[in-house]
Amino acid sequence: MDLLNALVVFLNFVFVPAVSYGAQLALGALGVTLIYGILRFSNFAHGDTMAFGTAITILCTFGLQALGITFGPLPTALLALPVGIVATALLLLGTDRVVYRFYRERKAAPVILVIVSMGVMFVMNGIVRFIIGVGDVTFADGARFLVSARGFQEWSGLEEGLAIRSSQAITVVTAAIAVALLFWFLNHTRTGKSMRAFSDNEDLALLSGINPERVVAITWIIVAALATTAGVLYGLDKSFKAFTYFQLLLPIFAAAIVGGLGNPLGAIAGGFVIAFSEVMLTYAWRKVVLYALPEGWAPDGLLQLMSTEYKFAVSFAILIIVLLFRPTGLFRGQSV
Amino acid sequence: MTTVPQTRAIATPARDSLRTPLLFLGMGVLLVLTGFLMGANYALLVVNMGLVSAIMALGVNLQWGFAGLFNIGVMGFLALGGLAAVLIAMPPVTEAWAAGGLRILLGLLLGAATVVLLVLLRMRMAPSRRRMAVMIAVGIAGFVLFRRVIDPGIVAVEAVTPAATGYLGGLGLPVLLAWPAGGLLAAGAAWLIGKTALGLRSDYLAIATLGIAEIILAVLKNEDWLARGVKNVIGIPRPVPREIDLQRSPDFVEQAARFGLNAVDASKIWVNLLYMLLILAVLGLVLLLSQLALKSPWGRMVRAIRDNEVAAEAMGKDVTARHLQIFVLGSAVIGIAGAIMVTLDGQLTPGSYQPLRYTFLIWVMVIVGGSGNNWGAILGGLLIWWLWVIVAPLGQLVFGSLATMMPEGSFMAQRLADAGEQMRLLTMGVVLLLVLRFSPRGLIPER
Amino acid sequence: MISEDPLRDDRGNRDLSITRPRDAIPMDPIVPTATQPATSVVNAFLVGEAMVGGYGRGPSILNGCTIAAEKGQIAVIVGPNGAGKSTAMKAIFGMLDLRQGSVRLNGEDITRLSPQDRVAKGMAFVPQTRNIFPSLTVQENLEMGAFLRKDDISRTMEQVYELFPILREKRRQPAGELSGGQRQQVAVGRALMTQPSVLMLDEPTAGVSPIVMDELFDRIIEIARTGITILMVEQNARQALEIADKGYVLVQGANAFSGTGKDLLADPQVRKSFLGG
Repeated sequence: MDLLNALVVFLNFVFVPAVSYGAQLALGALGVTLIYGILRFSNFAHGDTMAFGTAITILCTFGLQALGITFGPLPTALLALPVGIVATALLLLGTDRVVYRFYRERKAAPVILVIVSMGVMFVMNGIVRFIIGVGDVTFADGARFLVSARGFQEWSGLEEGLAIRSSQAITVVTAAIAVALLFWFLNHTRTGKSMRAFSDNEDLALLSGINPERVVAITWIIVAALATTAGVLYGLDKSFKAFTYFQLLLPIFAAAIVGGLGNPLGAIAGGFVIAFSEVMLTYAWRKVVLYALPEGWAPDGLLQLMSTEYKFAVSFAILIIVLLFRPTGLFRGQSV
Repeated sequence: MTTVPQTRAIATPARDSLRTPLLFLGMGVLLVLTGFLMGANYALLVVNMGLVSAIMALGVNLQWGFAGLFNIGVMGFLALGGLAAVLIAMPPVTEAWAAGGLRILLGLLLGAATVVLLVLLRMRMAPSRRRMAVMIAVGIAGFVLFRRVIDPGIVAVEAVTPAATGYLGGLGLPVLLAWPAGGLLAAGAAWLIGKTALGLRSDYLAIATLGIAEIILAVLKNEDWLARGVKNVIGIPRPVPREIDLQRSPDFVEQAARFGLNAVDASKIWVNLLYMLLILAVLGLVLLLSQLALKSPWGRMVRAIRDNEVAAEAMGKDVTARHLQIFVLGSAVIGIAGAIMVTLDGQLTPGSYQPLRYTFLIWVMVIVGGSGNNWGAILGGLLIWWLWVIVAPLGQLVFGSLATMMPEGSFMAQRLADAGEQMRLLTMGVVLLLVLRFSPRGLIPER
Repeated sequence: MISEDPLRDDRGNRDLSITRPRDAIPMDPIVPTATQPATSVVNAFLVGEAMVGGYGRGPSILNGCTIAAEKGQIAVIVGPNGAGKSTAMKAIFGMLDLRQGSVRLNGEDITRLSPQDRVAKGMAFVPQTRNIFPSLTVQENLEMGAFLRKDDISRTMEQVYELFPILREKRRQPAGELSGGQRQQVAVGRALMTQPSVLMLDEPTAGVSPIVMDELFDRIIEIARTGITILMVEQNARQALEIADKGYVLVQGANAFSGTGKDLLADPQVRKSFLGG
């Protein structure tokens, strides 16, 4: 029985990966939930928005690297991130002007907007594949580990090592900064408050003289920043592939819905709920149990509830359970 | 939402009644032109897949166009139909059955029994902590038992000549039986899904069905004992003669020569024509049945529910039951199309199922054709499939020539060379957006 | 059975949202007011004169009614259900298009202005329902009310807090968590933040207890004393007419009776028909 080692194994294979994945999902879900709160539709193009921002950031990263500019121990992609955000913001604002505004002015039904966002999804998917191809792209550079497994073993004298990749640490730190900025903006600036007011009660917001087009534009810009950041962090942590980003739509939506669509705080909570469930249900617990139980007590077998390929099933199952038992999400979403 | 009663249909001007035949005529001209430019065989292949797409579109149209159900799990039901083709038509692998087939069956039964037990518990026991505890205990016990029984069976089955089989095989029945079977399999899955998810709001239902499709695909990709997973099942028996046999038949060669065709071309065309007849028969049947159903009192009720759920409910209509019925029916149609598609290809390749191609493209077909109109769905299926096929080589042509102007092997040249393929997605998106903007009811609007 | 506009056809999906068309859908251009009788010029601070109008292309709900309110006075519109009381108020605020008639504020014709522009001209409107931002705190609700103002709003906010002391106590609470009466206070407070010259209230006492209603009417009198014109639609006709300087009884979109609140209360016909004896 060796609880300390069991804890380290748990931290190494479950906690740290789940926290960084959760942060990525939370940022993605925040974008979805903001669009839902302000523009009142579920944006199916969000995964491809993330892919677009990441693709631009990657190209810019490669450009910087070719010029010999790096960011020291940090990934160069962080330097390129603002460029990606600006490009994505321009794309989203352009899309809004050319596509979405028409339906907004006609007061189209939300379900029509969802279908429209499918069209946008196709277009963005095509653009992303055009600019960066369909293959896997790795663009992480800088230091690989914040804490290496061997370093930790030497420091602690434990059998098991704890490795924290720098991409994981950067994910958590960046996500925390992004979320703090977002909440400060929403709660303490006039524009942010007007966005919340608009989300609460559009008619009254109009009566109060809040300009809807301005609110919508600012929403798209914030969504661009969140989506690009989420995409770049996910890409740094794993790798970039256009199709994978499209598939992220499912866990991201699950996170946003579980947290309560339209509720930013819920989106963050939802992101972590989904990430932890996914990692914990697909992790083979054998090693942890071996350490945690007295010798000979541990059952044989991997103690894996389901194989990692079924992670979608986890997002889905949580989604269904929450929707059946608490349809507005864990935190009250918009009462639509 | 203001509803305009039947008056509109009566007042249809003559111009509108000509619209549908004219559009189909135009579609025919496009296909014939394709035949002249790219060869008759190529055109037939496009037509066949277009007709299969039309069946898929009919299924989606049934759900969305007539009942307003937002199902974007089309890919999953298609894949289930494809699975049926394997399970019906492939010969059984006797060694695999001997190694662990029964064990797997038993395991599946245990799993199903656990779920049934859980549902019964939930229905019979009063909501309480005790029920919760009992349900959790039953669930865990059932899961452990299920894994204990099924896991050794799976390992044993997958170990049987993994390079060639490694799965249980099918029933060895004629492949045409797989078509209705595909429909049944999809319908069964749809019933289970509909029972849990149909009460959800439309965009939640969309996400739920999207998730279901991914899960079905994950099962197909990973459960090798079922259909070999990503190792693919190839050589699925065909309902029509093989080209090579035709070419060897002196009768056929003679007949072909009479039409002035060589045996190779003639055999391909003949096979495709036979397939086309089979698909047309299915398409015709599905179209006929859905037209009849929709003109029946049942169909009117479904549409009344779509137009005003609240009012329909207030009038005592069982909205949930109608929705479940139409969800199951539509999914069955999609499943049939999935089985036909796999039969056409002669193989099941789970890795090739992608939502953009097998879910969202079908949606583009329905929206462009005209949601709520079966003829529209068919036209959309043919037109969008044709466009999907034709855009890639066209794009290749345009971008390929652009790429030659770039320095050899440069980044841009590479991007441009690949661009033809990506043009498909871009074009589909643009087409969908244009139709939604300028002709939101589609090419052949609902009457 | 197809709805008129394919974009609004949500195929039975009842996703309620604000993009769903609710009230006025501006469709018809305003018909020139040539047929308006030239004689009936009313001179008051706020006048909605000989108004004819309805929703979209539907039938007219207002059939030539005239509503006027003097500066610093309370005008009340009462009448049976479906008489067009709320519609008349919405017409004055520009939330539906007039087919005939005009609206004037302080002598200026504002018939063609949008509701937002009327807010800028000094009109404030408290809708009957959905009149607060539920997830915003009370203070944020008030701030949003003053969104258009560029000057210092702290004095106005202080005045609102003095008028409704309970709001000061609850200023950091989300408005959605307050009781019905307190929400109405937030709603009125939000409207006052623009420093309006006209305050329009659509059934402010709907769904609140009689004690809260009296309290609210007291506050409304107080507001009128500061020189703000008040126009109000009320179900509780008797109580409302008691505080009214001017009362209008509408029947089928037209003026049936008008006069001071006291006169109407004393009029036997009004009493018989509308006040229950």
